[in-house]
Amino acid sequence: MRSRAERRQVAEWLLRGALLVVLGIALWRTFQRDSVSTITRSTKTSTFATDFAGIVTNPAVGAIDLKVDAMPSRTERDALVALRRIGVIVRWSDIPPAIAVEVERTREPEARARVLVTAATRTPIALVDSAGLIDSLRAGADASVEAVSVVGAVRAEQGRFAASAYAPVPDARRAVLVLGRADWETKFVMQALNEAGWSVRARIPTAPGIAVNDDGLLPLDTSRYDVVVALDSSSAELAPVIARFVAQGGGLIAAGAALEWEPLRRLAPARAGDRRPGRILLADDSVTTRDLPLRPLSLVRSDAVSLQREAPGVTLAARRAGLGRVIALGYDESWRWRMLGGASGMGAHRRWWSSTVGSVAPDRAAAALSIGDGAPLASLVFALGKPSSPSAVSSQGGARDPLPIALLIMAALCLLAETASRRFRGAR
Amino acid sequence: MSDFVFATAQYESGDWDSAPLVPANIIDTIARYTSIDIAPSGVIVPLSSPSLFRYPLIYLTGHLPVHFGPSERTNLQRYAERGGLLFVDDHNHDIDGVFHKTATEELSRTFGVPKPLPKTHAIYKSFFVFEDGPPTTSHELNGWGDNLVHKTLSGVEREGRLVLLYSSKDYSSEWNYHPENKKFLSVDNTKFAVNLVVYALTR
Repeated sequence: MRSRAERRQVAEWLLRGALLVVLGIALWRTFQRDSVSTITRSTKTSTFATDFAGIVTNPAVGAIDLKVDAMPSRTERDALVALRRIGVIVRWSDIPPAIAVEVERTREPEARARVLVTAATRTPIALVDSAGLIDSLRAGADASVEAVSVVGAVRAEQGRFAASAYAPVPDARRAVLVLGRADWETKFVMQALNEAGWSVRARIPTAPGIAVNDDGLLPLDTSRYDVVVALDSSSAELAPVIARFVAQGGGLIAAGAALEWEPLRRLAPARAGDRRPGRILLADDSVTTRDLPLRPLSLVRSDAVSLQREAPGVTLAARRAGLGRVIALGYDESWRWRMLGGASGMGAHRRWWSSTVGSVAPDRAAAALSIGDGAPLASLVFALGKPSSPSAVSSQGGARDPLPIALLIMAALCLLAETASRRFRGAR
Repeated sequence: MSDFVFATAQYESGDWDSAPLVPANIIDTIARYTSIDIAPSGVIVPLSSPSLFRYPLIYLTGHLPVHFGPSERTNLQRYAERGGLLFVDDHNHDIDGVFHKTATEELSRTFGVPKPLPKTHAIYKSFFVFEDGPPTTSHELNGWGDNLVHKTLSGVEREGRLVLLYSSKDYSSEWNYHPENKKFLSVDNTKFAVNLVVYALTR
């Protein structure tokens, strides 16, 4: 049986042996590294795809200096990230222009594509899809363009640099329920929405106990309806049902007395104020929203947003209520805009009503395809970090080999343990 | 919210004011049967005037030849396009008469050729239900005018709504009396006017 001191001596020999092994490995690694001299490869994003195979198959390439002369695609960015992960230092320079593009669908039956563009500079940007040029613009801070249809990806191009995005797939719209008295406003609101492609259902009281009704109006829920348009006091009977519909995510546009009924008043962004007469028209005048008689909105709530204003006051205000959205409307004779608005009045009235209804309709569009590249510069920085100049090679981190540090720590621990053991048993 | 105003068309040719009591009678009928807010008196609107577009339902009648001037025709075409409804009634009740011949020609040039409306048309059910189509007038039954009982009205539709309603039944004579005299009738003969107004306001 060995004594404790003998066991200790055996352990010290083992530690010495381990130390020698570690030093041996370090020596071997040093000779290995020296035998393969690393090189830095310069390339450009426009030629990176063709250069990639050469970089990957050449073990001598330890770093890449990438000049961004065209926006790298998602695939190229992934390839650069992969190179970093296998220890190749990737540096990039020449910051491309910051452009971002997004495509959304208007919540209307036509489901036009709305292209939102942002750029850091006011250099002209061309918007193109697979079918050709859509429009050109100077975005600056931001800009939007509507197109009836787009084919494939929408690209915002600034020279050789481009951002791209896909429009979400539109979903079929549900019906709009119009509640109003038998008058011209009700008739022409229905007509405008019908012309814009909405499926319109209505309940129009014409005498006590008698109403012009579409069959099966109820139940009022978001699976059947997108929006309720309550034009006057005739909606009072359905006010509690409408309030529940809005809480579930439905939209509501309310005007005049409809804003006064208790269940709706709690949802409404504002109340209808006193009536103001419209402008007195001369023989050849055309009516616009400025000239309409209206009830400017009053008591606009603090969480409401004023969307439209005329000289007498706010005419359109919106707020969220539950899961739905509510618009308070100051106009109750918009039909005059359509009838007396000259050549453009009818179309303008139709578009205004359709977009107002669409603005409170639930968003049912499927999520946009994620295969676009909406903000390529941001994605590049996210993937590769900040850009750098080629001269700053040594200062760049890159991917480090963890083995030398591990060997150093192991050697130090072995040496420390062996020395401490000897000292504690009194040997030198 | 503005009241409904009953408007009578004034045109450059013919006797546009041949049935002056019709507006008051229709206004009385609307007020009597419906909750529609209606102005207590009607208006007269020249067809060539931009004011035409303030009144999306307009009534036109007469005995004499009808000829629309260029501005009248253009205005009426725009009126129909924007959603107006023109109701024309032959005060002669005579399809061989000058009003019918000239008016139908002018209206065909302006709106397209009027076609007979089926008895199932929405206008016959918009308020009161007229199972047999348009109600017969006493002038038809008395054998005046063309000595015919016209079974249908005719009209021109755009996108499922009437822009022109043409009658050979002579409602202008049938309804041209003081509203106070309704009490002497066993059956109110102006009920179809309610259907006309309700149709115009809800379709």
